[in-house]
Amino acid sequence: MDQPPGPSHATGTGEDLIAASGSTGPAWRGALHRAAAQLVENGGRYSRPFESLILILIVLSVASVGLEATAGLPAWATGALRWGEIAVVAVFSVEYLLRIIAAPDKLKFLLSFEGIVDFLSIAPFYLAGIDARWLRLVRMLRLLRVLKLRTYQLESTVAERTLEISQKNALLEQTQGQLNAELEVGRALQVAILPSAFPARSGFDGAARMIPATTMGGDFYDFIQLPGGQIGLVMADVSGKGVPAAFFMAVARTTLRDLAPAHATPGECLAAVNDVLCAENPLDLFVTVFYCMLDPESGVLRYANGGHNPPYLRRADASVEALRGAGGLVLGAMPGVDFPDHTAQLQAGYRLILYTDGVTEAFNDADEPYGEERLIAEVREHGGGAPAALIEHICQGVAAFASGAPQSDDITLLVVSREAIEKAGIQ
Amino acid sequence: MIVQLESLGTTTVVLPEGRLDFGAAAAFEKQLTEALAGRGGVAPRTVILDGSGLEYVSSAGLRAILLAARGAQRSGVAFSLCALKPAVREVFDLSGFSRIIAVHPDRAAALAAAPPSGP
Repeated sequence: MDQPPGPSHATGTGEDLIAASGSTGPAWRGALHRAAAQLVENGGRYSRPFESLILILIVLSVASVGLEATAGLPAWATGALRWGEIAVVAVFSVEYLLRIIAAPDKLKFLLSFEGIVDFLSIAPFYLAGIDARWLRLVRMLRLLRVLKLRTYQLESTVAERTLEISQKNALLEQTQGQLNAELEVGRALQVAILPSAFPARSGFDGAARMIPATTMGGDFYDFIQLPGGQIGLVMADVSGKGVPAAFFMAVARTTLRDLAPAHATPGECLAAVNDVLCAENPLDLFVTVFYCMLDPESGVLRYANGGHNPPYLRRADASVEALRGAGGLVLGAMPGVDFPDHTAQLQAGYRLILYTDGVTEAFNDADEPYGEERLIAEVREHGGGAPAALIEHICQGVAAFASGAPQSDDITLLVVSREAIEKAGIQ
Repeated sequence: MIVQLESLGTTTVVLPEGRLDFGAAAAFEKQLTEALAGRGGVAPRTVILDGSGLEYVSSAGLRAILLAARGAQRSGVAFSLCALKPAVREVFDLSGFSRIIAVHPDRAAALAAAPPSGP
């Protein structure tokens, strides 16, 4: 019967036979072994309900030992207890057999602590004649087995969940890392697109710096070469933070740069930029812009302010004044608004200081802002030198003030200086 | 930031307390939108933002108020500010917002300027 039917199948079928009947014995034994394992082994398909059944029976049988010992029990009760005992022993016996069948090493199971306890919990019944009723209390030890199993299952569930959580954490960390890397690139880009050098004009010097916040911000400054040798100076701050603010900053800056050379006054330019920004502003962001046109020939500054902090003018005698001329609305909020033009004079030895509120609203641990007074004091004291030196002073002052509190907003400064008369006169 | 709402007939007064900065702006924007929508589908006629408890407004906070002012305009609700502290008032003046949103010195003036209630 077991012989392969023909030579052509010989090789394959022969191997199958060896695999099936080799060390595990006949097929029915394998099936029985598997079925037993489903019931009594950890993680078997029916092991939980089976275990619960055993647990209930253990408790009932231990309780019945106590009941039997009670004096004056009616005859029907004694009978019921007797039948109950028979049922319990029957189930335990079947379970004992199943465990032997399921055990990979039968002898090891029989001699193990659990094996002996299982045996002792049914043995008294079969050893009729010996009054071994008290031995049935050994069944209480069986509770240990079940409880141990439950603990094991609980532990393995915890371990499984812990693994799951740590895998999810790793994934989150990876994603976070990627996002941070991309934000870092964004920040670097934001700084990189801003001009690094002030256009060379005899008698004038300029410098600017933008220190982006930990989350991406939307500050920008610009030096724009205008027709007739004029220089456009821009300081701007987009509302909000993060990627939306950075995008809006890029749009605002490009628009301003494109439109600036075509407009004769700063106010007209801001009005044109405002209309463009209002037309393409899906996120309802806005930007404060101070824009001025500097004529290096005369030192005349014409400016318009779209809701930005008034810049400071530092005179040669170190007095500081804010360019407070009536401003207009922030850009992007409402189309068709006007931006009044104003004029100031950048005389010899004067400094013009443009900044964003990231400077004055840098907070320290005590939640106090750096404030305008500190900034004015810094400008008065250290404004006499080169623009880059003043910027460095202010940045260091702000950093020292914040003393490690996270930088929540971009810090941006632009300083233009006009040489003092003596120096200019030598030329 | 804590925000209280007071209902006076067809007028709702919004009372924010604390700092309206980037961290608080999104939640405040939502609260303003809800105040404008009103309860049970009945929108108020007037919404007054009482700034007496407002310590600081950042640009993100300004944006939340701008969006509310626009929303109010769309739905025909009168929207105004009142009782701003000097530092906050300066932010509204500087940004030009006090020229597109009505600002009253105190709540009484804001209530007096509100459109009359009744049918």
